[in-house]
Amino acid sequence: MNIPFNHLLVIAFLLFLMGLGSILVRRNVIRVLIGVEIMLNAAGLVLVGSSALWSRVDGQLFAVFLMAIEAAEVALALALVIYLRRRKGTLNINAFNEMRG
Amino acid sequence: MNPELIFLIPLLPLLGAVINMVFGRRLPRPVSTGLAVAGVALATLLVLALWPYAGGGGTTIEFYTWFEASGLSVPLILWFDRLSASMALMVAGVSTLIHVYCLGYMVKEKDYVRFFALLNLFVFAMLVIVMAGDLLVLFLGWEGVGFCSYALIGFWYQEEKNAEAGQKAFLMTRAADVFLLIAILWLFRIFGTFSIPDILGRTDLIPAAAVTPIVLLLLAGACGKSAQFPFMSWLPDAMAGPTPVSALIHAATMVTAGVYLLCRLFPLVAVSPQGMAAIALVGTISAVYAALCALAQDEIKRVLAYSTMSQVGFMFLGVGAGALSGAVFHLYTHAFFKSLLFLGAGCVVLLSGGNNIHRMDLTPRGNPLVFWTFLVGSLALAGAPLTSGFFSKDAILMSVFSRGPYFYQLLWLLGSLTAFLTALYTFRLIYLVFWGNKNGGSGAPSVPFTMRVVLPLLAVPAMFAGLLNLPALFGGSERFSLFLEGSDAVQTLVSHRQELMLTTLAVAVFACGWLVSHGFFRKRSAPRDNALSRFLGNGFYIDQLVERFIQRPFRALARFWQRATEQMIFGGFFSGLGKMALGSGQVVRRMQTGRLSTYLGSFAWGLLFLVGYFLWCVLRG
Repeated sequence: MNIPFNHLLVIAFLLFLMGLGSILVRRNVIRVLIGVEIMLNAAGLVLVGSSALWSRVDGQLFAVFLMAIEAAEVALALALVIYLRRRKGTLNINAFNEMRG
Repeated sequence: MNPELIFLIPLLPLLGAVINMVFGRRLPRPVSTGLAVAGVALATLLVLALWPYAGGGGTTIEFYTWFEASGLSVPLILWFDRLSASMALMVAGVSTLIHVYCLGYMVKEKDYVRFFALLNLFVFAMLVIVMAGDLLVLFLGWEGVGFCSYALIGFWYQEEKNAEAGQKAFLMTRAADVFLLIAILWLFRIFGTFSIPDILGRTDLIPAAAVTPIVLLLLAGACGKSAQFPFMSWLPDAMAGPTPVSALIHAATMVTAGVYLLCRLFPLVAVSPQGMAAIALVGTISAVYAALCALAQDEIKRVLAYSTMSQVGFMFLGVGAGALSGAVFHLYTHAFFKSLLFLGAGCVVLLSGGNNIHRMDLTPRGNPLVFWTFLVGSLALAGAPLTSGFFSKDAILMSVFSRGPYFYQLLWLLGSLTAFLTALYTFRLIYLVFWGNKNGGSGAPSVPFTMRVVLPLLAVPAMFAGLLNLPALFGGSERFSLFLEGSDAVQTLVSHRQELMLTTLAVAVFACGWLVSHGFFRKRSAPRDNALSRFLGNGFYIDQLVERFIQRPFRALARFWQRATEQMIFGGFFSGLGKMALGSGQVVRRMQTGRLSTYLGSFAWGLLFLVGYFLWCVLRG
C-alpha cells in the first residue's frame, strides 16, 4: 500500500510542530531535549519519504547518518544535563543564565 | 699564509665577545677574562703575520654576499691595504695592552663578564670599520662602535649620571651618523656600488656639483664620531665610563674613526678643495676650542678628554691640508701617548682616591713608575722635542704651512697657538697632580701588577714612535709616510731653511708653554673661580646653548604636536568613534538575557519569518 507523499508531509509537519511546542513551552531540560529529538525525527521522516518518492538512495543514507548524529548528540547532551544538575540542583533551563550580557 | 685568514682578524675578538656573552658567567674568572685578552692578542699577531698581503694595492677578500636585491648586491668585503693594515695593527695592539690593564683595573668588579664582552665587541666593530672594503660594512662597524661606546660609558649604569652620559654620546653621534648615511647613499646613487676600492678608482665619475656636498656630509659624520665642532660636547661627559674604556674608545680608537674615514676616502675628498678647507677649518676650531677648555678643567679625565678633542682636531687639520700620512702618523702616535696618559690617569685616580686635580697628593718620588710614564705621555702630548708627538704634530703643521697663502697660513698660526696651549695645560696637569701636595702620598693602595706592566710598554712607543717617520732634517727618511703612500721618493713640501725655521719655532712654542705653565702652576694655588675659568670649564656653555636653541624649541614643537594632533585628532575624533562603538554595545547587550527559552523563542520566530518569506515568494511567483 502506497502512502501518498502529502500525507507524509503533513505528519512530519505535525511532528515538527509538536517538537517545537515542547521546546518553547517546557522548562525542564530533558523535555526540551526530547522536543529537539522529535523535530529531528520529523526531518528524518521527510528524508526517507522523499527518497522513496524519487526512488533515490541519498535520502535514506542521510537518514541513517542523522540517526548516528542523534545518538552522539544525545550522549553528549545527557552528560551535560547531569553536569548541570549537579551544579545547580535543578533542571529548569531558566536557572542557567550565566551568559547574560 | 692563506690570505683568507684576514677574516679571522675581526672575527677573533667577536668570538671572544660571543663566548663571554653566552657562557661567561659559567666559566671561571681567569678563563673568561683570558679568552677576552687572547682574542685581541691573537688578532694582533695575525695582523703582523699577514702583513705582506698589505703591500701593493692591498688584498681584497670577499667573505660572502651579505644581501642581494634586484641590481644591488652587498658582499662582505675586507680590504687589507697599507692604510687599513697599519690602523688594524694600532687598534689591535693598543686594545691588547688595554685589555691586560683591565685585568687589574676590573679586579674588584663583579660584572666583569659584561665589561670584557663589550670591550671585545668594540674591538671587533672597530676592526670592521678599519678593514671594511665596502661602505655598508664600514657603516655596520661604525654603528657597532657607537653602541659599544654607549654601553661602556654607561657601564656603571646604577648611577644616573653615567647612564645619561652614555645616552648623550649615543644620541649625538647618531645624529651625525645620519649625515654619513646620506653621503653613503648619495655615493651609491652616483657609482651604483658600495665598494670602496671601486669608488676611489673612479672619482672622475662624480659630478662637480655633488662632490663638495658629499665631502661636507662625510665631514659631518666624521665630526660626530670624532667629537669635533659642532658635535663635540659628548666627549667630556663620556669620561663617566671606566678609565680603560676612556683610553681605548675615547682616546685611541673610536674617536679617530672620523679621521680614518676621511683618510680612507681621501682620493674622493681631495677632489673638492672647498671640502678640504672645511675639514681643516673644523679641525682648527675644535683644536683651539678644546685646548682653551682643557686649561680650566678640574678633573684629570676631563683635561685628557679635551686634549683628545684638540689632538683629533690636529688630525682633521692635517687631512684638510692634504697631509694624509701626517694625519695618520699623528693618529698613530696619539693613540700611544693618549692611551698611556689615560691608563696613567687610572693609576693616579686609584692612588689618590679622587678625580679632582686640585686635591691630588702624589709625589714623583713616592710613585716613580706612574710619574715617569705619565711624564713621557705628557711630553709627547705637549710636543716636547724628539718625542713622538713632536714629529707628528710638526709634520702636520709643516704641511699646513706649505699648503699656501693666507687661509692655510692662518690655520697654521692657530695650530701653533694650540700647540702652545697644549704645552700649557699639559704642564698644568703635571704640576697640579705631582707637585700639588708635598706632604701626602703615604698609605696609598698599591696598583695591581697588570696595570703597572702596561705603562712602560706604552711609554716606549709614546717616546720613540717618532723614529718611524723621522724627517730628513733629523737624518731620517720618513719611512712611515713612504710606506703609506707606496712611493720611494720623499716629497719636499718646504725648503730646507723653512723647515729648520718651523722646527725651531715648534721647539720655541713648546718651551714657552712650559715656562708659562711653570710660572703659573709650579706653586700650588687655589682653583680659580672667576667668570673666565667658569666659561672655559663649562666648555663655552655649549651644552646650555644646545639646550636653549635646539632642545627647547624642539620640545615646544613636540608639545604643540602633542596638543594639536594627539589630543585633538586622536583624542577627539578617534576616541569619539570608540565611544560610539562602546555605546552601541551597551544597547545590544540587553538582548543577551542568558535564558535559553529566550533564544529558543527567537529561533522559532526566525523560523516563522523564513517560512513566511518563502511562502510569500512561492505565492507571488
